[in-house]
Amino acid sequence: MSQNTNITQELLEFVERCLNKNASVEELQKFETRLQNDSEFRTQVTDIKTLLFGIEAQSLKEKLDDFHDELIEAPSIKTVPIKFMPYRKIAIAAVLVIALGSLWFLSGNSNEKIYAKYFSPDPGLPTMMSETSNFEFYDAMVNYKQGEYTKAIEKWKPLLVNAPKNDTLNYFIGMAQLANKHEKKAIEYFEVVTNLDSSNFKNEAYYYLGLAYLKTDNIELAKKNLTFSTVDNSKKILLELNN
Amino acid sequence: MRETYKINSTQHLIDAIKDNNSLALKTLYTTNYYKVEAFILKNNGTKEHAKDIFQDAFLALWKNVKQDKFVPQNESSISGYLYTIAKHKWMDYLRSKNYKKTIASSSLIDMDSSDDISDKINDDKINDERLHSVMHAFKVLGMPCKSLLTKFYFEKKSMKDIADELQLDAASTRNKKYRCMQKLREIALNLK
Repeated sequence: MSQNTNITQELLEFVERCLNKNASVEELQKFETRLQNDSEFRTQVTDIKTLLFGIEAQSLKEKLDDFHDELIEAPSIKTVPIKFMPYRKIAIAAVLVIALGSLWFLSGNSNEKIYAKYFSPDPGLPTMMSETSNFEFYDAMVNYKQGEYTKAIEKWKPLLVNAPKNDTLNYFIGMAQLANKHEKKAIEYFEVVTNLDSSNFKNEAYYYLGLAYLKTDNIELAKKNLTFSTVDNSKKILLELNN
Repeated sequence: MRETYKINSTQHLIDAIKDNNSLALKTLYTTNYYKVEAFILKNNGTKEHAKDIFQDAFLALWKNVKQDKFVPQNESSISGYLYTIAKHKWMDYLRSKNYKKTIASSSLIDMDSSDDISDKINDDKINDERLHSVMHAFKVLGMPCKSLLTKFYFEKKSMKDIADELQLDAASTRNKKYRCMQKLREIALNLK
């Protein structure tokens, strides 16, 4: 970038118009002629191009971590096949299996404890039976509130056909699945909600998604989702998990 | 169940990349990441390495598409290109002094480096240097300017929309934008 050249606002806007092809024919002609004949102008144009490109590049760079957080869980990758295993290695492997196994067993237990301590299903929405268009939805909500989760799910699921990404539906089906101890199914529905750009249920969905992952012993994803939620208990659970 | 960005022709994808279409870029990122991660994990790397290398490669892909240095013929050529850049970057890292200090070179798997992409990546050294000082300057630029310039140049929002957001008239917004550009340029110049 050149120290000794000054770029005025007029110049910046003129060059930008020409670079973005928003300029008039005369302006473009003027631009081309100056580019050919005026070396200071050439430097200025290069400077402006570099500035514009740098802004975009850095903006993108700062977005990449957000993209990274959107990755779905890693598929298990099996790489090096083990062909030969001497006794000692088998012994070490056995010890490791037992150690990891008991670790898993123990951590599984404490995760369950934390889950049981914090999980209580969403109280549900007030039912408005007069609204005929949503009759099925609120009818199922009555079942949900009475703890008849399977019934509620059966009634809600067909409504998804016409509105696969509806946040309210996905949230409550997920909720009912979780209350029914079907954590994996619950995760699918909550993730629809957390993947939406905006939703009133997003905050709670992250919380329950975290709980569902906790129940399935997936601590890392549990922590990740809980950090996205501002529900009070999220922080308490995170603290317990970190201790 | 995820939102996917469907592209019916390669040209649309190229345009979307050039316009910084968030959804297109995100899809490109998430659909190509694991292939690169698998490669790096298999070749003495960690997940952190994989993330760094992939993000570098992703940015390089974007830069080259933007400048028409790479014109993809179809979607899979984009994936292939991304993978190749990442592979080269990882090999460069493995060969670097830093790495060799800690790991015996015999443990490195022999990898073919005769691809032509590495030349293309390195052919723009001077420009890259300037670009890096602008990028760094933008990184440290104050938030109000940063947000204004991001909206304008990255998100490509219209002057009117930005002016409405800031509750300013068009002329003041343009002037503000200009002053932000001046500030950015100043920081970049002082960095050199």
